[in-house]
Amino acid sequence: MAQLPGSSLAIKRMSASPDPDPSLSRGIRTEGPEFAKLIDISRCIGCKGCEVACKEWNELKVEPSRNFASFQSHPDLSSDTWLLMRFSEIEVDGDLQWLIKKDACLHCAEPGCLYACPAPGAIVQYENGIVDFNQDNCIGCQLCISGCPFDVPRFSAETKKVYKCNMCVDRVEVGLEPACVKTCPTNAISWGTKDDMVALAGQKVDRLKDRGFENATLYDPEGVGGTHMMYVVPHGDRLADYDLPEDPTAAPGALAALAGLKQLGMGMMGLGLIGTALHYLKYGPEVAEEEEQA
Amino acid sequence: MSRIERFTYFERVVHWTLGLSFVYLLFTGLAFSHPRLFWITVLSGGGPTARLLHPWVGMLFSLSLGSTFFIWAKDMRLEGDDRAWLKAIRAYATRQKDGVPPAGKYNAGQKLFFWTMTALGVVHLASGIPIWMPAGVLGLGPFYGGTVNVMRLLHYATTLAGGLLLIVHVYLGTVAYPGTLGAMLHGHVSRGWARLHHPRWEKEQADL
Repeated sequence: MAQLPGSSLAIKRMSASPDPDPSLSRGIRTEGPEFAKLIDISRCIGCKGCEVACKEWNELKVEPSRNFASFQSHPDLSSDTWLLMRFSEIEVDGDLQWLIKKDACLHCAEPGCLYACPAPGAIVQYENGIVDFNQDNCIGCQLCISGCPFDVPRFSAETKKVYKCNMCVDRVEVGLEPACVKTCPTNAISWGTKDDMVALAGQKVDRLKDRGFENATLYDPEGVGGTHMMYVVPHGDRLADYDLPEDPTAAPGALAALAGLKQLGMGMMGLGLIGTALHYLKYGPEVAEEEEQA
Repeated sequence: MSRIERFTYFERVVHWTLGLSFVYLLFTGLAFSHPRLFWITVLSGGGPTARLLHPWVGMLFSLSLGSTFFIWAKDMRLEGDDRAWLKAIRAYATRQKDGVPPAGKYNAGQKLFFWTMTALGVVHLASGIPIWMPAGVLGLGPFYGGTVNVMRLLHYATTLAGGLLLIVHVYLGTVAYPGTLGAMLHGHVSRGWARLHHPRWEKEQADL
């Protein structure tokens, strides 16, 4: 893979920071490209080399697993397992199919976790598209987990912080691809600018369609503004079997209503204080006669 | 000057446990809800400590709210003149006392305040627990995702209603009606105060 230019860690969005975010000022932005990872599910052989590379590069604790009648290494993601290849065995047109999903953070352009986070700077989105958790600022409330439409972040009971894939931001920053991309033996994972990856996905989808996968599609959901980890899905009509939500959104109804109510909230509290002050100025204290003499 | 006992020692302890925990919860809650107010968490030992303490103080709040229910529920039953009092609430607020039926130990406004706060408190506790322990508790849950998001909306909405009522409560209990705060501090009011604000109750009370 050709050496990529170092990507910009200029901050695009920051959790719980009043708008307009000062870091959005044009002066410090580089207008550098967004990067993306493209997972071609049709090329994955299920070797889990990416899982090992992820653990190794990010120095994550190895967790004992158990046999639960699956080729999957662990039952679920955890605060020490940021990447999990999920295997689902289903029948498609009478044939047994192994549907594999690389379960990790999708690095949404509209990150539900970041919008849900109450701690300033605990979640940041860099200009290069990576959504990163900064545990120094994390207060352990876990609201990001509920804000994520893909159920990705995981809470550590030990550190009382939340963790997830950081797209190997320390590699990307200096022009290297993420560890999982580097290690994949079948080139099922590609890395490059978002534009290049969308173009590449188009070619891959066309090729799959030529091979008879007529529902092949690119998974880059609009409800979260697109993602920086995208999938080429051979059976695009069976997203649920891949455990991919059909229409994920960064701001489900309740959170959108909450944001609206918060706009009113402080104003109403302020009006309450002003109202009582005005009442006092108009009517003053109501003093009992004996009280005055006292 | 003759004095009447209005609140017992136990009532005052419960009230201030409730009141101070409410203020702690309101301010840390506002810090979590409004980024511009996040600095308030510093007063509670920083973000992680505030997140840890908020639910436990909430337990204290719920416990004292439950106690107020047992102390005051009987006195707070709406009856007789209360409907007429509520109809005259505008006259009450603008100090036109002639049109307002004389109140007993608590006027209808105080009674409604009590019941509204109790109801809000129940919703608050119920919505707070899934946010506190999203991984689940007592065999319920996990609550991650939609449940937590809906509970956050409820938790905030009840805070807003309770916060507004608190502003009115503190205003009326302090500067608007001098002598009222003393009832909750040392437990006593003057006979004049009682005659002015709670005439029916005053008639029933003997001097201390």
